[in-house]
Amino acid sequence: MIELKRISKSFGRHRVLQDISLSVKTGEVVVILGPSGSGKTTLLRCVNYLEKPASGEIAIGDFKMDCSQAKRGDILRLRRKTAMVFQQYNLFRHKTALENVMEALLVVKKMPAAEARSRSVALLEKVGLGGKLDEYPSRLSGGQQQRVGIARALALEPEVILFDEPTSALDPELVGEVLEVIRDIAREGITMIVVTHEMGFARDVANRVVFMDGGVVVEEGTPDDVFQHPQEERTKQFLRRITPEANWVI
Amino acid sequence: MQLDPSFIWTAFWQIFRAIPTTLSITVVSVLLGFAIGTVTALVRLYRVPVLSQMASAYVTFIRGTPMLTHLLLIYFGLPMLIDGLAESFGWSFRSVSIPMIGFAYISFSITAGAYMSEVVRAGMQAVDRGQVEAAHSVGMTSFQALRRISFPQALAAALPNLANSVIGMLHGSTLAFAVSVVDINAQAQIVASTNWKFFEAYLAAALIFWGLTALIERAAALIEKRVGAYNRGGVA
Repeated sequence: MIELKRISKSFGRHRVLQDISLSVKTGEVVVILGPSGSGKTTLLRCVNYLEKPASGEIAIGDFKMDCSQAKRGDILRLRRKTAMVFQQYNLFRHKTALENVMEALLVVKKMPAAEARSRSVALLEKVGLGGKLDEYPSRLSGGQQQRVGIARALALEPEVILFDEPTSALDPELVGEVLEVIRDIAREGITMIVVTHEMGFARDVANRVVFMDGGVVVEEGTPDDVFQHPQEERTKQFLRRITPEANWVI
Repeated sequence: MQLDPSFIWTAFWQIFRAIPTTLSITVVSVLLGFAIGTVTALVRLYRVPVLSQMASAYVTFIRGTPMLTHLLLIYFGLPMLIDGLAESFGWSFRSVSIPMIGFAYISFSITAGAYMSEVVRAGMQAVDRGQVEAAHSVGMTSFQALRRISFPQALAAALPNLANSVIGMLHGSTLAFAVSVVDINAQAQIVASTNWKFFEAYLAAALIFWGLTALIERAAALIEKRVGAYNRGGVA
């Protein structure tokens, strides 16, 4: 169970997040939609403190922190309970696929090398990269790199995985393989918060869709509710722009 | 005056024995300089209060003044400082017991540190921010992210410039003659002064420097190839 309470964040004078609250149940897949600049990526980054919220509260399981007086130890604990999959993959470029996945197990969890290795191999096999263990990122396609990124996020067995537009940087023909992997791990009951523009994927995988605009949650509900029967005008406008064929248009 | 080719050969072997002096100055100044440079670069990159301003002042002053001047400032200034301190604290140590080459070690390390800090800084800036975020996202501390992720890649990116610094210090070490340290160049002068065949002697010294530089370049190329394997997608 993840609870964000009244999270606020400004860049200079611009208020990116205005008192946002969101709770995600264990095993739930929440997709955040919204136009660019709506604050969705910033919200996601706040959850593992790559952005520092100005105020608010983050709770994951029995761990709880007040963002206005966060200590170094709190931030590390929060980060160890969360993992992020980045738009630009952000793999460690001087490490092989296997080393990328093992890194946090060795350095953060202090796991013995043999155990870290066998777990990492299993994860890479799961994302379909059992044959690419010793390749450096520069030798992998975007889709393969992103799958390594997903394996790296899974390695620490976080309580939630945050996906920041995981397919936006990919060539269209590579999007499918990455979405397939995310779909698979969603089925395993791993809690996820996903920022994406892939509407079909959102409809398929999400238990809940959250529509954000202007730093606030405008509307949320099941994919059916939000896609078929959006209540708010801003949601309707947004969906009309990105899915012109949507059948709720009257 | 006629060129005496055979003396080039004679001088070559007599100068050879000064190689350890030149190399020791180079190695000490490069190693200490690298340590000083790394600390300086990190202090500036992480904007450590007070220290980062001091680091900037150090870099601009050293880079803004000649290496020979550093040597002379250390040579004349350090004994005053040491003897002054020794007197007021009642130590028995006096600056006369510092060997001449010690002044070269100290001052050239300070010189190298300033130049190398810029090399390390450029290398660190070449590592994209995203990888550091990724390291943080899996729970690494800033120090772990630095040690495991950014610094190794910064070094790889900085290697060509580091090799240049090493070559620069090798050639710069000739200035140590100013405090009567006998390096390759000074040895050439000594060899020539018995028979005035300066051109032959300096030519021999030049050949030795050229050879040493070639070795450094070769070593740097090998290290670059190994360390940079990930960039070309090769398997190490």
